[in-house]
Amino acid sequence: MDNTERLIQEKIKREIETQTRRHFIKDCVAGMGGIALSSLFFSCNSFFDNKKGGKLSLTERDLNPLATLAPPFPPKVKSVIYLHMAGAPSQLEMFDYKPELQKLHNQSCPESFLEGRKFAFIRGVPKLLGPQAKFNQVGEAGNWVSEYLPHFKKVADEVAFLKAVNTDQFNHGPAQLFMHTGSPRLGRPSIGSWVTYGLGSENQNLPGFVVLTSGGKNPSAGKSVWGSGFLPSVYQGVQCRSKGDPVLYIDDPKGMSRGLKKRTIDAINSINKEEFDNYSDPETLARINQYEMAYRMQIAVPEVMNINNEPDYIKEMYGVEKGKESFANNCLLARKLVEKGVRFVQLFDWGWDSHGTDHSTAVDLGLKNKCREIDRPISALILDLKQRGLLDDTLVVWGGEFGRTPMQENREGKEQGYKGRDHHVDAFTMWMAGGGVKKGASWGKTDEIGFSALEGQVSVHDVHATILHLLGFNHEQFTYDFQGRPFRLTDVHGHVIKEILA
Amino acid sequence: MSIIKGLHIRTVIVLLFVTLAIVVTYNLVKPEQVVSFSSDIKPILNKHCISCHGGVKKNGGFSLLFEEEAFAKTESGIPAIIPGDAKNSSFIKRLHESDPELRMPYKRPALSKEEITLLTKWIDQGAKWGAHWAYSAPQEVEIPKHQETANVIDGSNIRPVNEIDHFILTKLEEQNIQPNALADSTTLIRRLSLDITGLPPSESLFKQWTTNKLSYSALTDSLLSKNTYGEKWASWWLDLARYADSKGYEKDNGRTMWRYRDWVINAFNENMPFDQFTVDQLAGDLLDDPTTDQMIATAFHRNTMNNDEGGTDDEEFRVAAVMDRVNTTFDVWQSTTMACVQCHSHPYDPFKHEEYYGIMGFFNNTRDEDTPGDEPVIKFYNDNQRDKIDNVNQWIEKHGNQQLAKSYKNFLLFNEPIYQAHLAEDFTNGELQDTKWLSLWDNGSCYLKDIYTQGSSYIYLKYWTNNNGTKIIIREKDKNGQILSSFTLNKTNGRTIDRFPLKSIDYKTDLYIEAHNSSLGPQQGTSSIVWFGFLEDLPGKQESGYTQIDDSFLSLLNIRTPTLPIMLDNPSYMARENRFFERGNWLLKGDTVKPHTPPALNEWNPDWPNTRLGLSKWLVSKQNPLTARTVVNRIWHQLFGRGIVSTLEDMGTQSEPPSHRALLDWLAFRLMNEHDWQLKPLIKDIVMSRTYRQSSKSNAALYNTDPENKFYARGPRHRLSAEQVRDQALMVSGLISYKMGGPSVMPPQPDGIWQTVYSGAKWTESKGEDKYRRGIYTYLKRTSPYPSFISFDAGSREVCTIRRTITNTPLQALVTLNDPVYLEASFYLAEQMLEKEDIREAIAYGYRRAMFTDISETKISELEKLYDEAFTEFNNDSDRTKDFLSYDATPTAKEAAMTVVAGAIMNLDEFLTKS
Repeated sequence: MDNTERLIQEKIKREIETQTRRHFIKDCVAGMGGIALSSLFFSCNSFFDNKKGGKLSLTERDLNPLATLAPPFPPKVKSVIYLHMAGAPSQLEMFDYKPELQKLHNQSCPESFLEGRKFAFIRGVPKLLGPQAKFNQVGEAGNWVSEYLPHFKKVADEVAFLKAVNTDQFNHGPAQLFMHTGSPRLGRPSIGSWVTYGLGSENQNLPGFVVLTSGGKNPSAGKSVWGSGFLPSVYQGVQCRSKGDPVLYIDDPKGMSRGLKKRTIDAINSINKEEFDNYSDPETLARINQYEMAYRMQIAVPEVMNINNEPDYIKEMYGVEKGKESFANNCLLARKLVEKGVRFVQLFDWGWDSHGTDHSTAVDLGLKNKCREIDRPISALILDLKQRGLLDDTLVVWGGEFGRTPMQENREGKEQGYKGRDHHVDAFTMWMAGGGVKKGASWGKTDEIGFSALEGQVSVHDVHATILHLLGFNHEQFTYDFQGRPFRLTDVHGHVIKEILA
Repeated sequence: MSIIKGLHIRTVIVLLFVTLAIVVTYNLVKPEQVVSFSSDIKPILNKHCISCHGGVKKNGGFSLLFEEEAFAKTESGIPAIIPGDAKNSSFIKRLHESDPELRMPYKRPALSKEEITLLTKWIDQGAKWGAHWAYSAPQEVEIPKHQETANVIDGSNIRPVNEIDHFILTKLEEQNIQPNALADSTTLIRRLSLDITGLPPSESLFKQWTTNKLSYSALTDSLLSKNTYGEKWASWWLDLARYADSKGYEKDNGRTMWRYRDWVINAFNENMPFDQFTVDQLAGDLLDDPTTDQMIATAFHRNTMNNDEGGTDDEEFRVAAVMDRVNTTFDVWQSTTMACVQCHSHPYDPFKHEEYYGIMGFFNNTRDEDTPGDEPVIKFYNDNQRDKIDNVNQWIEKHGNQQLAKSYKNFLLFNEPIYQAHLAEDFTNGELQDTKWLSLWDNGSCYLKDIYTQGSSYIYLKYWTNNNGTKIIIREKDKNGQILSSFTLNKTNGRTIDRFPLKSIDYKTDLYIEAHNSSLGPQQGTSSIVWFGFLEDLPGKQESGYTQIDDSFLSLLNIRTPTLPIMLDNPSYMARENRFFERGNWLLKGDTVKPHTPPALNEWNPDWPNTRLGLSKWLVSKQNPLTARTVVNRIWHQLFGRGIVSTLEDMGTQSEPPSHRALLDWLAFRLMNEHDWQLKPLIKDIVMSRTYRQSSKSNAALYNTDPENKFYARGPRHRLSAEQVRDQALMVSGLISYKMGGPSVMPPQPDGIWQTVYSGAKWTESKGEDKYRRGIYTYLKRTSPYPSFISFDAGSREVCTIRRTITNTPLQALVTLNDPVYLEASFYLAEQMLEKEDIREAIAYGYRRAMFTDISETKISELEKLYDEAFTEFNNDSDRTKDFLSYDATPTAKEAAMTVVAGAIMNLDEFLTKS
């Protein structure tokens, strides 16, 4: 049975379950006499007895907001790993090969490119900057990939490139928000929140939407890029940290044993059960459920966040750095989380803002190091997912918040000592890999210097529509009512990018 | 059949005909029900038609959004609706079509028979258009009389206490639902105290109440008079005001806003009428001779975000802030989502696209321009400095005039009006440093366009530089223009405000600015200029004492004081043109639009100034249909957890219909006309009702009949807010500090929460009692709010939060189980419990302190068991005890075990919930 079929079967099964759940649960509660305090009890809880007779009619989500829901259409994938290079990586040194630009290196940029344009830092007439990396054609599909990414050639055939993505925001904060929430202003739910809200999570012992950061800093737009906006806060991304508690307050207070914690929660829940008998408030039942889940999470989170128990060959494959907050570690964690049924894993790696104001932001120096930091882990992630049969169920997305100019930056009109590129919104590269994605595809073309899109232009909304499509949603119908109107991730825009679908 | 049998067949036929004739005649002459537009027709249109024939789309040239559109000619050349003639109205014909290409709604299920009948009747009856109830002012309402009845379950009396109960009980009777009996008195005092002050009752108040020394009314008054009342209700308002301690966006730098927060708390405590509360916040600066407090109030609309990220366009984010003010004003006062109208006419409500820009006109002339200094700000001088300002003032009043005195005072208080450096353009050898400050290099130049110097003999400059000997030349118009000013800038000690002689001209002109400093390398900035200012000359030059006054003025200008961002309008010569934005895009500017309010709402009084002040008066006019209804609906929501109109953000055609419309209007009318907009008596009205005082106990029958409790057969029961969860734990443990006001505090939070890009901002843990202040005083950084508050559904306040969604998650359990704040509170509660010798008594005491009621037998035995187990565990391992209780030098197993029990009590559903 191929993957799609399996997912369809699963969906049908789930639908039947939903239809019959009420009967099933009725029997279940009646059979158990309605009084018990165990996880089993909560697996059959749509009708709830209270002492005074009668049953409350509740849905599973009343008691557990992360309960799994089937998507409206047959999905291609069940989970997403989104790799965001915060600061905006240079497509011209990584995936968008422009030999012509090399020839025009150091020449003044033609006025036609600059007319009526605004850049973040470029002023006056800048010079063109040729690609600083060499490129090769790799894999069977023969896509061009830079030498900065030697490992990537192993997985290039798994990937579908989008070479002409555009955005309308040229500052980091708003552009990152746009990329993750569909709006450059704060206050909208992030894509991970939408997905978790729409599908719930497969694993009730872990958060449904996990965020991992590396590079020493959070993304410019802060935690709002994984915020839940107007969706209930239970759907916001939970940042799992490499230092300190992996999840805030996950560790028991010092001196408190696991056994004693269990006893404490049992006592709390047993008293809460009495409270429920008294008040018949379903929120009390939900709270009992949440306390049990918290207890399980306390075991499950540190377990999944611990990469030391992974076999050496896996650690080597990713290039894991023990005890550090690194992108490699986060890639391995992402695989573990998805394997455990986490719905959406969001990685942010900081340090891609290659303006050329110093060594670390030069496209021929610092950028090379950044590429080295991600090259092996990303290739390992895709191969590892593949060897476990997870790649068919998972969507891996890679990109930044915008691209970089073919021109050398001249901040405040000055000549710079290092080679760097300014923010560029017209055309940049993203890629996707995984279930439902056409392997080795490349969609979109930029002009000979990589400034404008010639064909296959796609917007941020199109990228969102495509991700939602692969998860089994029609992005136009996936809405949430807030402030008196229905909201969508894609607002009033977005088209599914069929050209990269298998 | 037996009746027919034996009758002649012809007789039967005749009889049948007669019967038929009677039926037909009856149907023809029976009084027909008049179809109501707002309750029968509008909902059908909204549900089935408006998404294709409304504000955004007008397929076939047909729109049902506005009356004139609905009856206008469509693309077919004739109107789709012909009043009085449904048969010939294509609007009806298209509903009956069999061709799927023609039948409406297109590609959707057909309308039901009943719906089509209603629409047909409506057109035949003349197709009268009607306004939605929410758009006409609330009128005096007749109170339904509900008779006292007996509860069928326990025989107790169901007696209305005040007018509210008549509305509620009448409806319950219609629904055939029995209301609950009253809550017991200890549950009630906890509920009331949490609702009014955000905290459980104090011990002394509790004692007075339980010993019958206080009536319920006196108890309510006592709680309303406490300062904690203002703190509780301010957290509601601060959500609406999007109050935060940082500016938002990438840099999210800190911003000193706490004086505004304190103003809100005081306004609630002083029971400031809501109309004044509104005017002060929206237009305090435009009042005659505003007080400092009125200036502080205007910070309401300076809570908008400010983008300090390098490379961002200040104008873009200024416009974003102005739009946020429009949206927030309508969110807060009108329960109307104006954000839709920014790009197109409202899809459901009667607000047109251009009306958005009419409202924007009121807000689009303020001085703020998304600058890093958050100008304009008000400076807070000390008394001594204020005396000096008074001296300057008196001098000018004596030797000049009052008007001039006022401009000097404003320049000292606000440093306004000024021209910000980011207005500079057409650079040669120079740039805006970090897109913020004017930085010219050697031989650099730029223009400042359209400048009015007011005939001033000086140019004022705020700037800093590390270089000596920069020559600045300012010319009129361009590089060949006459020299207006020429001066040298030398190294400064940080930012300074200085002035230089200027040739006096009394008309608007462009200024051409040159900088020369050959000692500098190429591309090196000579200086960084923040703004340019002009001020009419100080009068009395010939009088003795002039020099002292002038010196005093200059030194006052350079005094660094605490500040607060405020609202100020442009002077007429700097007035901004307010333009329509095509499809909401600020770069696509259309015609100019004069400030005006939407005609669908109350009329504009020509006596009102056409400014924010007029707008605020329009909002609190008794004719405004939405302001009072909005306030009472949201206060009701604060108390009951549900609004009378449950969609708090939207009161209009698309909102949920009100559960008790007459009650909403009664409360709104009373707020305006009997309480003169004071909120304390409104809150008292509600909490005095029997409806509020009912037990919140439910049961399956009650729950299944009315899961949301919208008929109020039971009292409110909800999880406490983020702030309340914290405050309650601090109060019950005795740790709480009641210190009011002042800068926001930083209670302990885990390390590594703040990771700010390009900023040295740090979470510096507060010391002493500041660690235990109420939640409202906790520092709120928008991109990284206090983590346990976020877990409990507080927002990050980037934009107006109308209501917090209450969630129930495992992360909340982790906070109250494991956050050191709660562990510490448990320990201090345990210490008090252990003053009782007997363990059972100690547990009962702790429970009573937390819940204000006696513990049940099953609960106490459960907690006793927990104590025993914990005690055994700690008793066997003294290291564990020490680890657990780091607060105590000599911790005992008994203390540790009791801390576990206290922690369990503070995690109970009943503790985290108001019942």
